[in-house]
Amino acid sequence: MKVDTSLPLEYSTEENRLKIFGFWLFLGAEIALFSMLFGTYFTLLNGTGNGPTAQEIFELKPVIVETLVLLTSSFTCGLAVHSMRLNFKKPMMTFFIITMCLGLVFLGVEILEFVTYIGEGATMQTSGFLSSLFMLLGTHGAHVTFGLFWGLCILIQVVREGFTARTANKFFIYSLYWHFLDVVWIFIFSFVYLKGMI
Amino acid sequence: MVKQLFPIKHVMGYLLSLILTFIALSVAYYDLSYATGMGILSITAIIQASVQLFLFMHVGESSDKHAVYINIIYAIFVALIIVFGTLFTMIWGHAGH
Repeated sequence: MKVDTSLPLEYSTEENRLKIFGFWLFLGAEIALFSMLFGTYFTLLNGTGNGPTAQEIFELKPVIVETLVLLTSSFTCGLAVHSMRLNFKKPMMTFFIITMCLGLVFLGVEILEFVTYIGEGATMQTSGFLSSLFMLLGTHGAHVTFGLFWGLCILIQVVREGFTARTANKFFIYSLYWHFLDVVWIFIFSFVYLKGMI
Repeated sequence: MVKQLFPIKHVMGYLLSLILTFIALSVAYYDLSYATGMGILSITAIIQASVQLFLFMHVGESSDKHAVYINIIYAIFVALIIVFGTLFTMIWGHAGH
């Protein structure tokens, strides 16, 4: 295997470089997926029927908590990649575990938010607005959930094998995914929640 | 050690994203017109996304960077067409005919 030591480990083989490139292409497709859900949401925003409107159900507090938690987890994920590039295994694992714990907190707050909505009689079946809202938030939440399981698998491999061209590449790709989910959340925070409160 | 673990660029990027979050939040607390509010949200969201993209995702450090840039620009183009195309056909007065 040809290893180029002038590059970070995760780019060190051609296969690794191409895997990272392929993941960028996948993220392009994810952008199309989420923009479709945003388009649907904006279209159905006023289709509230007999159900509550956006202004009536949105609560700012849990949303602020979710935003700060996810921004921080994105930051710690960036620090984990930085530590990995310095070949610091323990700090990298610490930052990685913090990242995933924050992801778990985000998910917990989001589930509580859903439970609150459903308790107020705002379910997916209530109106077009709520269907599209739950689809958008749920798709993002499902991505975060998948990210937690994926992250756990990578963490186990880093513990077992340390930093190799293989594990470093996997973690770098994971970090792209995690930052991407933060970007999607920023758009949800801005154009779903805050837009409804102008 | 701490300096090595917390590079100044990352810390600044994190602080910037927190500041942008609070600027965006201001639209919920001040009585702004819809256009002003949407303007503020659009600008803060675009800067936030750029911080993630350029700082944390290290776009542009690979030798494939030109293809990656083209891919991102194309994805943004597709996203804008999907969102505004949907609004154009379904909301802005064209759904009736």
